[in-house]
Amino acid sequence: MANIETPANLPTDCLEEFEAAARRPLPLRWRYAFIHTYKPVLDDASFRSFDTTEDYRRWCEQNLPDWLGYARV
Amino acid sequence: MNIGKSGAILLGFPDTTQDAHLFVEKSPANGAALVIALHHLGFALSEPQADEIRRGKDFIQLKNGPFDLDLVFAPDGLEHFEDSWNRRVEVEGFPVCHIDDIIASKAATNRVKDRESLPRLRSFRDYWLAKHRR
Repeated sequence: MANIETPANLPTDCLEEFEAAARRPLPLRWRYAFIHTYKPVLDDASFRSFDTTEDYRRWCEQNLPDWLGYARV
Repeated sequence: MNIGKSGAILLGFPDTTQDAHLFVEKSPANGAALVIALHHLGFALSEPQADEIRRGKDFIQLKNGPFDLDLVFAPDGLEHFEDSWNRRVEVEGFPVCHIDDIIASKAATNRVKDRESLPRLRSFRDYWLAKHRR
């Protein structure tokens, strides 16, 4: 366990995961982090651009399946 | 500057993501430099697509390179690039948004998937701040 002052409200399982990640070198962390699964609609174009971020958010809500989680609450 | 979950992962957040997000300062010179860098990385940009990046549209999604990348010129919840740049963290040469800015942006976006990831990300913030004391 690293010698840091642990935040009192930090769940133990989280702390263990964070400490384990901190011990990994960046290239390994980076390699572990990226996964790719096909996302319907979203992955069906190689390039998209939007004049505003709001336009993008609206496009996601109007075009992507709900289960992808891109809709705003 | 790295932002989003990929930015948090650079800071040490143990999680997975499907793409990287860059918060980019909107300026003609920066847009031109970005196009050169993307070509160098292997993104296959047509000239019209490169022009859109140079012009700095607020949100550009690239899936024509070695990894999926979102260029975000105006992220939710963050007003000025310079403010975030001044708070940035360097991780082995990579500029990364401060964890508070990453969380602020995700909270402002307020998507279902952000709501699911925020509690654990906030726990990581507490851990990261305790470790880095900044």
